[in-house]
Amino acid sequence: MKITQNSGEPIYHQIASQFKNDILAGKYAQGEYLPSIRRLAKDLKISVITTMKAYEELAGEGLVTAVQGKGFYVNAQDSEMLKEQHLRKVEASLTEAIAAAEIAGLTDAELMDILQTLLAMKEEE
Amino acid sequence: MEVNYAIEASLHKSYSKFELNIPRLMVPKGFATALIGENGAGKTTLLNILAGIRLDYQGKITYLGRYSDRQREELSEVKEKIGYTGPGGYYLPQWKIAQVAQISELLFSTFRKECFDMWCRQLAIGGDGAANKRISSLSDGNREKLMIAGVLSRDTEILLMDEPASPLDPLMRERLCEIIRDYLLEDEGERSVFFSTHNIADMEDVTDYAIIMANGQIAEAGFVEDLKEKYVYVRGEAEDIPQAKKTLFRISSGKYGFEGVCLAKKLEQLAGCDISLETPSLSQISVAVMEHSRNMERQG
Repeated sequence: MKITQNSGEPIYHQIASQFKNDILAGKYAQGEYLPSIRRLAKDLKISVITTMKAYEELAGEGLVTAVQGKGFYVNAQDSEMLKEQHLRKVEASLTEAIAAAEIAGLTDAELMDILQTLLAMKEEE
Repeated sequence: MEVNYAIEASLHKSYSKFELNIPRLMVPKGFATALIGENGAGKTTLLNILAGIRLDYQGKITYLGRYSDRQREELSEVKEKIGYTGPGGYYLPQWKIAQVAQISELLFSTFRKECFDMWCRQLAIGGDGAANKRISSLSDGNREKLMIAGVLSRDTEILLMDEPASPLDPLMRERLCEIIRDYLLEDEGERSVFFSTHNIADMEDVTDYAIIMANGQIAEAGFVEDLKEKYVYVRGEAEDIPQAKKTLFRISSGKYGFEGVCLAKKLEQLAGCDISLETPSLSQISVAVMEHSRNMERQG
């Protein structure tokens, strides 16, 4: 896990999003416990409250559940929700691309061309 | 989030020219809490009262939700659970390191000599023939490390540390942060550390909760992540300095603009100003709170 101290993005947020990616990618089994907050704080050399806040963010999004005195375990990721999460990510990335295209003065057709070229390249891989 | 407290207290103590007045002190259990403040703010007085070094105060202390300050004096099981390190002459200057171990063994039933020896080696205290060195011949850094080795060799639940980082070199400060994290990890949520420090930046990555003192009172307290949302660091242009001076908690301004710490809820007063925002560091928050308290004091 890579943590950047001065990126402007809060550290707890960086941790939460990396766990989120791992959970959505299926790297954690359903019911599996994440490392304890104090274990993670030690391993990442950061404060306990920061790891705790990261886990609370994951809990808030329904990815993990907190158990008093035991820690945080990974919830069953139902496939609809998984798809929804990924869809939101795709939309966010494309919105960003559209904004960049506007700044660069690309037409809609040119933007579509780029997307199609990229897709074609992906297929060749 | 549910929080229990390692220490809860309500304390009052007056000297001729100084008054410690803390109606409500809360040190969360399972975390590392930093006590921050200017020289003379009352940090050492507070830690000495909590450690039982000073007994001349009014008020009441509860440890671990179940022991009173009186029980700390009377019951060895309470005394055993609290470890203290600090700058005073806790170990007498004429003692040899070996005697520190012998005396600690007499005082504390959970003290383990082999653990102490291991820490003395790990922290490189005194070098060759360390056991026969006298306390008076040790440097401030080594004396601090020796006290740390002493408390780590016992089975404690609360560590009270008065300025543990000050006498240590930068490498040892890193080591101190690791030691604190390891200590908290050991019993997952049962152990707490309360340390005072001037080296806020060095200790920030191990600070969960911060208590900022000024003039014998608590000026601000909270979990660091919450404080970082309560305050923001603002930078702006020179033409907005007059408005910023009215709004910011602490401001430094010059020819090209201003920067400083602002309460997040007051940001709207800067609407229309060209500003950029950053998450403040604990040092920036602490300095702003301390300076603000000093200004308030001046204004009476």
